[in-house]
Amino acid sequence: MLDADIEACEEGMKMATGSESEAEKGESKWEVEVPEKKLKDKLYFENLKAVVIDTELCSRCLTCVSICPSGLIVTEEDRVGFPDYEERCLDCGACVRVCPRFIYEPPGGLGDYIEIVAARSKRFTGQDGAMATEIIASAIDMGMIDQGLFVDRSEKWQTSIFHVRDPKQFGIGTLGGTKYVFAGILPALKEAVRFTKKGVGVVGTPCMISGIRKLQEEFPVFREKVKLVVGLFCTENFHYEDLMKFLREEKEIEIEKILKTDISKGSMYITIEGREKKRKVKMAEFEERGLVAKGCDFCTDFTAVQSDASVGSVGSEKGFSTVIVRNENAKEVMEYIREKGNADFSEEIVMDEIDYLINFKKKREAHIKELALPE
Amino acid sequence: MKKVATPDYTVADKLKTHVAALSTAAKEVVLPLNITTHYPRERKRQPECFRGFMLFDPERCISCFQCSFVCPANAIWMKEAPSGRYYPTVDHGKCIYCHFCVDTCPGGALKTTKIHDIAFRTMDEMVAMTEDMVEPPAIIREDKVVVDYVIDKEDLTLKRTKEVDELIVEIEPSEGVPMVSVCVDRGSCIACKVCTKVCESGAVSSLKDEEKLIVKMEIDSEKCTGCGLCVKECSMQILRLVRRE
Repeated sequence: MLDADIEACEEGMKMATGSESEAEKGESKWEVEVPEKKLKDKLYFENLKAVVIDTELCSRCLTCVSICPSGLIVTEEDRVGFPDYEERCLDCGACVRVCPRFIYEPPGGLGDYIEIVAARSKRFTGQDGAMATEIIASAIDMGMIDQGLFVDRSEKWQTSIFHVRDPKQFGIGTLGGTKYVFAGILPALKEAVRFTKKGVGVVGTPCMISGIRKLQEEFPVFREKVKLVVGLFCTENFHYEDLMKFLREEKEIEIEKILKTDISKGSMYITIEGREKKRKVKMAEFEERGLVAKGCDFCTDFTAVQSDASVGSVGSEKGFSTVIVRNENAKEVMEYIREKGNADFSEEIVMDEIDYLINFKKKREAHIKELALPE
Repeated sequence: MKKVATPDYTVADKLKTHVAALSTAAKEVVLPLNITTHYPRERKRQPECFRGFMLFDPERCISCFQCSFVCPANAIWMKEAPSGRYYPTVDHGKCIYCHFCVDTCPGGALKTTKIHDIAFRTMDEMVAMTEDMVEPPAIIREDKVVVDYVIDKEDLTLKRTKEVDELIVEIEPSEGVPMVSVCVDRGSCIACKVCTKVCESGAVSSLKDEEKLIVKMEIDSEKCTGCGLCVKECSMQILRLVRRE
């Protein structure tokens, strides 16, 4: 075991037996506010199901999965579900409280920011400038957080969660790079919050960031422990099984040989091992076959406006990442990166490219208006 | 390098040691000094706190699982009884007889005995089911004598008494540290009421106010037994056991 693991275990033991801090006495009487139900006389999960899941508004950010006390909300065939909810739902309303789309105020635009820079990490190599990795690694180095959550992938491009406790662990090549399929980072975040001492850093898509903010809004434990939230530029996401089937059967691409995927100017570019030329697949082809996740149709947030810092390739030259620094927390990390010389910086940002995609996603507001929510 | 030399004995020294050896030999012939207990005809008297086979009192058990959590050898499994409550079973193949389970039991349901000599024919038999632990196991005793070891000046000697040692010790169960469950982060409570459901003693209650959309949670510290079930089950991990005032 790593030392950090042992510490985490010890922390866990203390938590279980308590009484280490006499100041933290706790209370034996308290009140909890519960949310209002849109559909009266129905379970909270039925409300969530009717408003978010059945209308396909669900972005699959998995915030509900992470908070459900019964732990029975799961993903089934790329949809969020709860087998036997009639019997086993505890009707506490936690899922409704944290769902960023139950009462949907679609975020969008460029959002507030302190600065926009293009940067390239000197320590790590990634799809572009590896700045998401660099920001988390530097935050670990400067002691702001003690672990970062990343999405790793297998050879077959299945996603899994990877806890990074030491920047040396970034040697794993598959941590960087876009995945374009869903990952359960939020359930992992809840576990990480339990055991962290300094705080946790997370990298996620705009929908996950909304989920994290919602968790922080509702629960002090997340406000305290989630210190750094790095958002990724995101146009849409795909259903894993369908995407892989399409690429394998119709496009005859060996999944194991894909090195990276990239979306720009209305096409997906797939780099394949042993081939010089990238395979180009038009986005329209994905849309025709319904491979793009339905929930993404209602997402208007390209730049993850709710994050501490947003990172993406759009807007900067090849090999650089665009970083939108949004608050003091992220600025501190960026200053640390500058001070230590961990990255090269460039001022060349093509705002038109970013604006193009912001407007492209803004058009989806029309889909939200068309949506018929149950009364 | 240092050479080890034989001590320089005089003739008188040598004679003295020879005489001492001969006299010890003569003593052993007349009155042999033997410190071996002749088990099973004799039995060594064990201290009252001996950690042997465990006995279990279902009346005192509150199904809090503390024994199985604390067991470092993972020898304790909780088995559901027909009454719906969970009682411990001990795998004697795994048990290291540390008796942490006895020490942690808040109700004093587990107690120790001086029994240390039970034979099992198969591995399966080594798992002592709850019902096997209520009464002491049947063991055949041939001992008529109790052996005490006495340290007499420099020598360790045996003292044999013609009696049968009682293997079941009647001691007051330890009171333990009185603990009570409290909520340390009310803001993070989601009112899922899992704590209310798992509480055996009915100390945790929740009351939903449908109009104001508020759930009132309360832990009755009078009723709380400090078993820690709610602390374990709380999905937000905001309950703690603290020392009772």
